Amino acid sequence: MKILKQLGGLFLLCIIGEILSALLPFPLPAGVLCMVLLFLGLSCHIIQIDVLRESADFMLKNMAFFFIPASVGIVEYYPLIKHTWLPLLIICILATFATFAATAYTVRLVIFLQTKFRNGGAKK
Amino acid sequence: MSDFLSILSDITTSPMFGITISILAYTLGVWLAKKAKSPLVNPLLIAIILISAFLAVFKIPYANYCSGGKMIELFLTPLTAILAIKVYEQIHLLKQNWLPLLIGSLVGSAVSIGCVLLLSRLFFLENSLMVSLLPKSVTAAIAIPLSMQGGGVVSVTALAVMITGLTGAVFSPMMLRLLRIQNPIEAGVAIGTSSHALGTSKAIELGDAEGAMSSCAIAIAGLCTVILLMIF
Repeated sequence: MKILKQLGGLFLLCIIGEILSALLPFPLPAGVLCMVLLFLGLSCHIIQIDVLRESADFMLKNMAFFFIPASVGIVEYYPLIKHTWLPLLIICILATFATFAATAYTVRLVIFLQTKFRNGGAKK
Repeated sequence: MSDFLSILSDITTSPMFGITISILAYTLGVWLAKKAKSPLVNPLLIAIILISAFLAVFKIPYANYCSGGKMIELFLTPLTAILAIKVYEQIHLLKQNWLPLLIGSLVGSAVSIGCVLLLSRLFFLENSLMVSLLPKSVTAAIAIPLSMQGGGVVSVTALAVMITGLTGAVFSPMMLRLLRIQNPIEAGVAIGTSSHALGTSKAIELGDAEGAMSSCAIAIAGLCTVILLMIF
């Protein structure tokens, strides 16, 4: 019953998210919207983590599993990209590597500048 | 044999088939990944290969698998929602690092768009294909409407989003070692920005801090990409 209630609550939240997402004028998906709502709910102590604990743990621990069907779908697209699959693949992979590196080093730089700025302020 | 195949195709139309084969393939994938101990042997990747091979060998239409697959996909929205719990549990990290997160995601999203523009020119890709690839680093529910607005091909966008996510999920431990990144904040933001929720599934395995920062980056990078593509 506990997990049933948790899933019920979670799905209800998602339906609310879907409705809000449909009403918004720009593309903000229900999932991201629900994440923000849930985060606000937790921060304002309207929702307790324990209310969702078991089902959340189950989903988070097996997160990759839920992406299987969408990934298997990739094979289905092959006829569509028969002539351009190689450039598409190369672009996707290279751009992901570049984004990864750029993000990580930007974060490093900002953290470095922040610490330097703070230490500089402390000396005065 | 043809009798057997027709019985099989009857059974496979039930959603039970798609769900069962997914669970079996994933369980086997997790077991193999534990044995192999190489980050390239990824449970998700193994499951995809096993299922695709199974469908091809027994000539089971993808639509049959999909009737169960759709039910699993149903969980993607609540899954994104409960990432909020990861973030909330590590809220001190968010309070300390909101500025690096914001700037990192913004720069990362810009680099992603820039890279696609540059590489598409390099490969003489058609304009509609290039537009389809531009929002590929963010979660599908954001990327698809963006691609449609620009006149892109929706299925190419969906495909690019999945390949990008898989790249992050499979290669991010390798990239972390290659780029000598040890700080979980850097790792988390990089994974979430470059490969959305699918990459985040790996970030969560790496650690709580990585998972939390990666979850935040999904939302921030999503918004940054929407804004950046509107400017274009």
